Amino acid sequence: MTFRSTLIGLSMAMGLGAPALAQDVAVITPYLAQPGTQFYVDGFTARAEEAGWDLNVIDTAGDVAAVISRMEDVVTQGVDAIVINVDPAQVGAGLQTAADAGIPVVGMDAGSDPLVAANVTSNGYAMAAETAVYVANRIGGKGGVVMFTFDPFPPVQVRGVVADAVFGNFPDIEILDRITPDVSDGGIADSRAQMEAILSANPEPGSIAAVWAAWDQPALGALQAIEAAGRDDEGIVITGIDANPQARDAIAAGGNFEASVAQDFEGIGTAAADTVARLLAGEDLVRRVIYVPTQLITSANAD
Amino acid sequence: MWLIRRFGGLFGMIAVVVFFAASLPETFLTLRNWLNIGQQISMLAVIAATMTVVMVMGDFDLSVGSMASLSGIVAATLFVQDWSIPAAVAAAVAVGLAGGLFNGIIVSLVGILPFVGTLATLTVFSGLAFLISDGRTIFGRDIPAPFGDFARGGPPLASVDDRVLLLPNLVIVAALVVLVVWVVLEQTTYGRRLYAIGGNREAARLAGVPVRTLRLTAFAFTGVGAALAGLMYASRVASANPTQGDGLMLTAIAAVFLGMTLTRDGQPRVLATLVGVVVLGVLDNGLTQMRVDSYVREVLVGTIILIAVGLSALGRDGLVRR
Repeated sequence: MTFRSTLIGLSMAMGLGAPALAQDVAVITPYLAQPGTQFYVDGFTARAEEAGWDLNVIDTAGDVAAVISRMEDVVTQGVDAIVINVDPAQVGAGLQTAADAGIPVVGMDAGSDPLVAANVTSNGYAMAAETAVYVANRIGGKGGVVMFTFDPFPPVQVRGVVADAVFGNFPDIEILDRITPDVSDGGIADSRAQMEAILSANPEPGSIAAVWAAWDQPALGALQAIEAAGRDDEGIVITGIDANPQARDAIAAGGNFEASVAQDFEGIGTAAADTVARLLAGEDLVRRVIYVPTQLITSANAD
Repeated sequence: MWLIRRFGGLFGMIAVVVFFAASLPETFLTLRNWLNIGQQISMLAVIAATMTVVMVMGDFDLSVGSMASLSGIVAATLFVQDWSIPAAVAAAVAVGLAGGLFNGIIVSLVGILPFVGTLATLTVFSGLAFLISDGRTIFGRDIPAPFGDFARGGPPLASVDDRVLLLPNLVIVAALVVLVVWVVLEQTTYGRRLYAIGGNREAARLAGVPVRTLRLTAFAFTGVGAALAGLMYASRVASANPTQGDGLMLTAIAAVFLGMTLTRDGQPRVLATLVGVVVLGVLDNGLTQMRVDSYVREVLVGTIILIAVGLSALGRDGLVRR
């Protein structure tokens, strides 16, 4: 008997244990070292522990081909679900392997793909609507608005489309310019230069009522230009999207940069885990994209 | 005792396989898993095999990783400009050949130490990759579908549980490269002379071996091998990023060193290198399936390399001193 229990103990220690009742879930990402990704994984892990899953978080340290390799490995291992946090277009071979084995893959802010059961992310349309409406209401529905957009990058392009629609619905709002800044140096410097040109072209105080930016960098560049031109007392309203730390500081300072929108990274992780749970329960997902609510950041809650 | 010294490395590697086979009885020794491993190590196998050619002479090429990144970027950039797949692939391989010959010139004609010279070209190639791509990842519609499909395809091999098993194209490419390197190193005068240079460069020179020319041309192998591996990587991820091949360099050198623990005289041999590559691939595959933490996995792999190379070094010292 002792011998037998020793054997069992030994085999358990070596991972040969009795068939696991818990369900196996693998989270595979090349980007675990990045702060945003850690929030996703924290949210996911918390929910996975509640569900009692056997969770395996795999980081490939930036190596995307290794993500495919590790997807193949966990498919061989026979996991019940895989969660990825990388552009599905780059790991098509791994998605195909999982699909062939009938293992569902959930995207955690990954992008949409026919082989991804569902992608959990923030709603770019809603984020843009929130700041565009904020601008329109703040300026009383009239005045000149400068837009910073970036149509070549699809997730940012949708934001511009929504802002166009919102401003178009106010007859007294005039779009002074719709600028696509050069982003090769991060976007702040070129946005500042473009904003300086617009300030020179519109010298009358009050001729520019607001700057709406599709993400934070152009908003920060516009802020710098307005402050450098000494026109920060005209009440020009600036908004961004993403609420990065620099933008939060600017908003908290109470200047022209008034609002941005924060994504709920941890919430995306939690919702991804909920989505996995639904798939494991055999549910068929109708929605292939699942949005997690975002939060408007103003001076009231920027800290 | 000599048995352990001579075959200790081999026993260790067999032990690794046996351990995984026992721990993962259902999955590890299946054909499907080994085809997966073959596909996963194919890029490393190409770089490590060609790295063996210069390591035979006691030289190094540290620039292979960034050359792999550069060749992927070159091909993808040409795809964006509507080049055909064969033309873009040929151009990327040509870049690899040129880069390899450049390494050969600075090492053999100019006489810069390989460690310093190829460290400098590592930076140059990496910078060029960033310059050409503007630091961006090239993916999606810019990459022609047949290029990405290549890495996913291959001739069908068998059918298991209604799922067809393919012999991956990448494995075929890697096998061809290893075969070519094996023929060059083991079956030609050229290859034997490289070993002579590695044994004693001065003696080889006095014996009439054209040391300079041979060292120069040998670096062409690592350049072309790196470019091929970069293209295989780009095909596998259907995209190109200016840093994606960088990690291959250190792992390739580790694989050659692991292989050297298997040969009788401690010399680099391409088939031994291949065994080293397989062991590294098996460790990644097996430890992932056993759900070992990613970071623990890295520590384990590094430790296993140290133990293998360390035992072999102790064994050799024992032979010489005692």
